[in-house]
Amino acid sequence: MPTIDIDYKELQQLLNINFNGNMEKLDDVLAYVKAEVKSYNKHDETVNIEFKDTNRPDLWCVEGLARALQGYIGHKTGLKQYCIAKSDVEVFVSKELYDIRPYIACAIIKDIHLSDFIIRGLMHLQEKLDQTYGRSRKKASIGIYNLDLITPPIEYTSVNPKDVAFVPLGFTEKMNLYQVLEKHPKGCEYGHIVKQHPLYPMLFDADGKILSFPPIINSNDLGKVTEESKNLLIEVTGTSQKTVQNTLTIVTTMLIDRGGKAYDTTIHYPDNSNYTEKQVTTPNFNSQQLTLNVEYTNKLLGLNLTPEHIKELLKIAGLDIKGMSKTEIAVLIPCYRTDILHQVDLIEDVAIAYGYNNITPNWPQLPTTGKQKPDQQLINYARDLMIGLGYQEILNTTLTNPETLFSKMNTPPTPFIEIQNPKIITMTCLRNQLLPSLIEFLSNNQSTEFPQKIYELGKVIHPNQMYETKTREEEHLVAVTTHPTANFSEIKSVLDNFLSNLGVDWQIKHFVHSSFIEGRAGKIVIDSQDVGIIGEISPQVLENWKLENPVASFELDIQQIIDKKSLTLKTQ
Amino acid sequence: MVELRVQEQQILQSIENNGGKASVEQLIVTLNLSDAAVMRNALTLQEKNLISIHAVTQSIIKLTDEGKLYAQTGLPERRLILAVAEMDGQADLKIAAEKAAIQEQFIQIALGWVIRKKWASYSGKNNLLKLSEVSATEGCDEGLLKFLVNREHVSFDELSVEFKDEAEQLKKRKLVIIELKTTRFLQITQEGKVSLAEGKTVQQEITQLTPELIITGKWRVAKLQKYNIDAPVAKTWSGKKHPYLSFLDKVREKLVILGFQEMTGTSVETSLFNFDALNIPQDHPAREINDIYYIKDPKYGDINSYGAIVERIKETHENGWQTGSTGWGYKYDFEAAQKLILRGHGTCLSARALESKDLQVPSKHFSIARVYRPEVVDRTHLSEFNQIEGIIVGSDLNLRDLLGVLGKFAMEIAGASKVRFKPDYFPFTEPSVELSAYKDGYGWIEFGGSGIFRPEVTQPLGVSVPVIAWGLGVDRLFMMHSGIDDIRMIFCPELDWLRKKQVI
Repeated sequence: MPTIDIDYKELQQLLNINFNGNMEKLDDVLAYVKAEVKSYNKHDETVNIEFKDTNRPDLWCVEGLARALQGYIGHKTGLKQYCIAKSDVEVFVSKELYDIRPYIACAIIKDIHLSDFIIRGLMHLQEKLDQTYGRSRKKASIGIYNLDLITPPIEYTSVNPKDVAFVPLGFTEKMNLYQVLEKHPKGCEYGHIVKQHPLYPMLFDADGKILSFPPIINSNDLGKVTEESKNLLIEVTGTSQKTVQNTLTIVTTMLIDRGGKAYDTTIHYPDNSNYTEKQVTTPNFNSQQLTLNVEYTNKLLGLNLTPEHIKELLKIAGLDIKGMSKTEIAVLIPCYRTDILHQVDLIEDVAIAYGYNNITPNWPQLPTTGKQKPDQQLINYARDLMIGLGYQEILNTTLTNPETLFSKMNTPPTPFIEIQNPKIITMTCLRNQLLPSLIEFLSNNQSTEFPQKIYELGKVIHPNQMYETKTREEEHLVAVTTHPTANFSEIKSVLDNFLSNLGVDWQIKHFVHSSFIEGRAGKIVIDSQDVGIIGEISPQVLENWKLENPVASFELDIQQIIDKKSLTLKTQ
Repeated sequence: MVELRVQEQQILQSIENNGGKASVEQLIVTLNLSDAAVMRNALTLQEKNLISIHAVTQSIIKLTDEGKLYAQTGLPERRLILAVAEMDGQADLKIAAEKAAIQEQFIQIALGWVIRKKWASYSGKNNLLKLSEVSATEGCDEGLLKFLVNREHVSFDELSVEFKDEAEQLKKRKLVIIELKTTRFLQITQEGKVSLAEGKTVQQEITQLTPELIITGKWRVAKLQKYNIDAPVAKTWSGKKHPYLSFLDKVREKLVILGFQEMTGTSVETSLFNFDALNIPQDHPAREINDIYYIKDPKYGDINSYGAIVERIKETHENGWQTGSTGWGYKYDFEAAQKLILRGHGTCLSARALESKDLQVPSKHFSIARVYRPEVVDRTHLSEFNQIEGIIVGSDLNLRDLLGVLGKFAMEIAGASKVRFKPDYFPFTEPSVELSAYKDGYGWIEFGGSGIFRPEVTQPLGVSVPVIAWGLGVDRLFMMHSGIDDIRMIFCPELDWLRKKQVI
């Protein structure tokens, strides 16, 4: 979820509210736009705000946030109109970009007075848009330039990386594009976006001066914005035309709110190319229109609102109305609201403006029958039995690592599921048996009083091509006893009691397993199917885990017993 | 006349023999009794006013393992100058250290001490170590090491003033430790001496009643010893359910009572159900490797049996299909839908329930699902935890019902007295509601997220009625319930904690 640093004083001023340092009060207001205060820094008076909605980039600057809250605090309802003047600035896109970074949108801002404060806000917004809305610059990234240094028209083209060199922002030496990817911190961070292409995107002006190497870095000459910059060129490039245009709208409207005058530009996509639209004017501040059904609104909210009431609520939410009838409302959605996909989004805005806490809750009386999962009853019997036998239930993670599962258990690996992107070295795969986790548990409790008797009933995961998710999960039960005289007979007696209580006939079959002492291990067999193993753990394993007492254990695939028994239980 | 039992008499006599005072440790050795036996008898003797018990706490100074080693082989600085001396009073530092068998990482330490003790001078330019003219006499620190080497229980207070100062220095070098040790002394009283002198009170008593005594009737003539029933006993540890699982059992039970049926599914899930079916676009940050675990091999699941549904989901993502939505407006990738992941939330189970041919209207479903996120584990994060989620399917459900359901959960499951609702965001619900509950003693706590599934979710899965979806922060609830502030305790590796954790 995006978090934004907002100037607290500025927000108070724009909203004309004094929160008196009461963050709860601010939180109550922020709740309307699904945001909350994460922290407040008294020194520089910035509030760190977290936004739950990832589709509302219009809120990620103090200007946009204040704009969205105006209606809810009763200052100004309806949508805010933005004007755009015509300009003759043109942008020419070359054909090969279709496969590299196809879309661009530009705007011009004139006569703006940039303070250090506004520049910082702008940079912060740019960074958040690039990161979150622009998917780390992949989908969209922003460049801002001093327009007075640029001679239009602009050329958005592709170049051979080693043929073009420029001084990237923050550097003094000229480098070619390969060197930028290698040496510039932004090149290292975002280079992967363009690296797979033989040609890289590039922005030039009419004099052949380089504006930037999108989406990596601006030129140090043209792409530097200071308090002296009066006229700006804003450019967004990316892979989604919608995201590129929305991003431009958000940056441009923020600068208009700061006193700038906006001018459009004309983007020319090449003829004889895959581009569907050949000429696009950006930015586009036209409102979108969506029809809201009154009956559907009331049905979904459980309310009985009149069209007039709904209209008022929509205006509180910063929307407006084009026209209405008894059954339908034509809603105008401002250009900066990029999050409305469906009329349910409008209905939620109606509900928020109405106030969730003003709605009377109702417990729906539905004729349904509660039921725990079918396995649960047998699982509970099994747990009760183990507890009655004096075993403490423990709970381990299903994430583990091959060293725990196999090497330290002195066995060769059996098929298991590995994670492609593990975060911690101790959690790189899913367990395919329970015993190792319990042995690990014992090794953590060597200074705890003996005897120690523990069990776990839980899921193990095996690869299995037969299933949709290529895995099969089984419920296993493992019991472990350890103390100076723990041995095979003790654990066999426990197993005998456990299975007899479940009414299961079983046999034991000798087998050799390197985790166990030879001659003290067996397979547990039910209806001539192997369902588990029992034995005394080999001293080698004990030594691997630094255990000083003998350990005896059994592990059962209790899923097989559940599957056999649930039939009987159902008929009872 | 005071009666004495055998062991009591033995202890009293032993104290008297030792000059009227003896420590518990001494008695354990002399009488070959356990600590518990000596203390049990001592407490009875004290009750009878025959002895008094005193505890004396002393600072004891002991050599550490490293200290013991140096006491035998010499301090590294001593070994270093001895080596230099053997090499005619000056030598290269590395060569001297090697000769003195000083390990690489201790060379600088040894050198520091040599210089501090002015035993030699060192020139960093040519690494040359040169002995001082003054001979290096044995220091007080070395004296103390020798003094301690063959002694145990040396009292710090009884050390000479020089040794005391030196002890502090050696403690800093981690060569000695100074620890507090409490010794219990038993001192015979005047009354005790009299009792002993009278010497006729000893009587044989039976401690354990045996089957033999019962069967033969001998118990009639035997004197059964009176126990000190206040004496501490060995702990008994019962088998118990894990507190967290036990808590989940209770939540499950409550949900069943409220008419919900349990859903299950596997931890390994396809992206189709974890993301796509829930209107989460394929380039959403939640699908990045920092937010979800991907399976290495096999990488892809089999979604062939969902052909028609996948087609509808694709259309919905691209252009909204028939749902009335604009869709996300990107090109849907079938391969991305097949990618196997470890489920990041329990909502995939709800999507599967909606897709199921057995879905009934109305119906209520819940799941207790193990879910996974690539987090670094700390006090507030686990990479694997549980989520309780559910859905209610019904033809006339609305936001009022959703709020009612949330209120019911807050009361029934969290024991809250008040609830509060806030707007929330999930890609799969609209409207979305965050539930906060007020619980006495805890204040307002965020308790869960919920909403009404978007038409983009329900319609491609073949459901045309409203579906309420909710999720509860069950781990947080458990932590509150059991008064723990470290989430790692859910997978607690401490047997002792589990044994001592109260069941209510």
